[in-house]
Amino acid sequence: MSDLAWLTLAPILTPLGFGLGLLWPSPRPVRVGLALAGAALTLAFSLGLLVATADGTVLTSALGGWRAPFGIVMTADRLAAWVSVLAAVSALLAVWQAAADPDPARERHHLLALMQFLFAGVQMSFLTGDLFNLFVAFEVMLVASYALAVLGSTREQLREGFRYIVMNLAASALLVVACGLAYGVLGTLNFAHLAQRSAQLGPNTTVTAVGVLLLIVFAAKGALFPLGFWLPGTYPALPPAVGTFFAAVLTKVGVYALLRVFTTVFTGEAGVTNTLLLLFGTVTMLYGALGAASQREWRRILSFLVVSSVGYLAFGLGVGTGEAVRASVGYFAVSVLVTTALFAVAAVAERASGSRLVRVRGMLDFLPLLAGCFLLCALTVAGLPPSGGFVAKYALVRAGLAQGSLLAVLGVVSALLSSLITLYAMLKVWRGFFWGQHPAWLPVYRVSPSLHVAAYTASALVAGLTVFAGPIFARADATAAELRDNARYIRGVLGDAPVVIPAPPTGEEAEK
Amino acid sequence: METLFALLIGLLIGTGVFLLLSRVIVRVVLGLSFITYGGNLAILTVAGLREDAPPLLTLRGPYVDPLPQALILTAIVIGFATTALLLTVALRAYQVAGHDDVEAFGDNLARDPEAEDGLIADPEHQGPDRPDPEEPRTLVYSARSPGGGEP
Repeated sequence: MSDLAWLTLAPILTPLGFGLGLLWPSPRPVRVGLALAGAALTLAFSLGLLVATADGTVLTSALGGWRAPFGIVMTADRLAAWVSVLAAVSALLAVWQAAADPDPARERHHLLALMQFLFAGVQMSFLTGDLFNLFVAFEVMLVASYALAVLGSTREQLREGFRYIVMNLAASALLVVACGLAYGVLGTLNFAHLAQRSAQLGPNTTVTAVGVLLLIVFAAKGALFPLGFWLPGTYPALPPAVGTFFAAVLTKVGVYALLRVFTTVFTGEAGVTNTLLLLFGTVTMLYGALGAASQREWRRILSFLVVSSVGYLAFGLGVGTGEAVRASVGYFAVSVLVTTALFAVAAVAERASGSRLVRVRGMLDFLPLLAGCFLLCALTVAGLPPSGGFVAKYALVRAGLAQGSLLAVLGVVSALLSSLITLYAMLKVWRGFFWGQHPAWLPVYRVSPSLHVAAYTASALVAGLTVFAGPIFARADATAAELRDNARYIRGVLGDAPVVIPAPPTGEEAEK
Repeated sequence: METLFALLIGLLIGTGVFLLLSRVIVRVVLGLSFITYGGNLAILTVAGLREDAPPLLTLRGPYVDPLPQALILTAIVIGFATTALLLTVALRAYQVAGHDDVEAFGDNLARDPEAEDGLIADPEHQGPDRPDPEEPRTLVYSARSPGGGEP
């Protein structure tokens, strides 16, 4: 355990503390300031984690002083720090958007505090080193997201929110059962210890069954095809600032859990789960892209693109080679940042045209800079050359071809096809919203400059993906190497000495 | 003993799934509770059932594994909280839709807020899709009537 172990707790406790502070009634500038400070501080701690884990250190802090396999540990390796930073960036931009776009009714009911609790839950899911604690983190995150999903009680929110809640509660019940089964078979819930025990046990059908159960749960949370029906309805119903964070990060929590469980923990059972992931990913990419092409509203189109991007991530994970995992880790960054940027752009566009529909025409005259941002994001999400999206998708396609099984090649075909359809969907938005002559009778509203700034900042980060593609992929390379060889993770969490489970007390000592 | 528990868990989860497929909102909520409790019993069973072993160290051993019981306790608390939240949402939906029926709830809610029945889900919290009446939005570009002549 190093001196920096407290850093693994800081990104969780900071938003939690600020969220509690925000419950205290105070004037709006104070609350907004607190919310921004909370998100910024979380980002600072996450960046600290990123630096601390850059050389492959695994930071571990044991809660309550109980050593690793017996108590709950918070763990940060390269992957956890990486996704924690991405989530914190998206969180800061979402809070910025909420600050720039006052929503008095929802803020009276603690919109800002609930967002902080959501951030805490997300960071906790990324940094936990324990399967059951992952369930608890999911619940912390999901309860905040349920509240945010129905906060405001518009008809659309209630209808979609109810479906979202029921779906996720059913998945959570399944996760509890999977935790129980994992404990029953392997006698532990700590990720590192689970990895050790399942490696000792060798290939085992019960462990594979637990893996498939976990796969179903995480696929439901990550909106993979057959289980992702709730997403395209729920996300457009949310207020824009909240929708940004939901779209960019919440599905990625499921993907992160998949990455963690099927690379670090259950490495021996890869065959079945990888095939399933490959299958789900292949279908999800196409389903998302086709859905995006079929919609007419800004955020409905973008929600389907979120589904599609999860498909790419699952595909990379399903291919399973080192190169593919590396491409997935790289694409993770692309997906989070570009989704944040596109939702920020959509928020400005919806406000400026006063309509959710894309078909307005001629907004290029009024929002030239926003149009530029949109074009950049559209190229990134479709994966065309001058963007970071191209680098990531190229790596995915190459990894799929290199693996060469029939399913992987089908996946590559699906990836290319869905990129093409995504490009078509994006061009449809461009033609519908920005291109052409603005109809004289349609109004154009003024949008607060700070909302514009949120969209520009997010787009600048997307542009940064291109500029810093080298360092990002170097990091992804190191992360993938670490994920493929989990010995370092296990040693970082459990230490060098073998774990000794003490014999159960007989009761005589207790009597004395 | 394990067989009995397995049958009981199957019964609970089967009932839960049956209720979940119902059209009545309250039954959906009840169904989720049944599934949750089936899951809790599954943890207890998987970790091993003992008839004579207490989980407390102050009693005479041998002891049953206390960890699954801690897990179930956590799961019960979380399930309790989420059920309460879901019931609140269901109540709000009932107030809006006027039926405790998922189908009617879907249809009624899908209707436009400016529909002829004039029902607004919650007049106090209107969505951001409608302009805030207190703060009229500024026009950059003046609206002209479609058939109007040049100014």
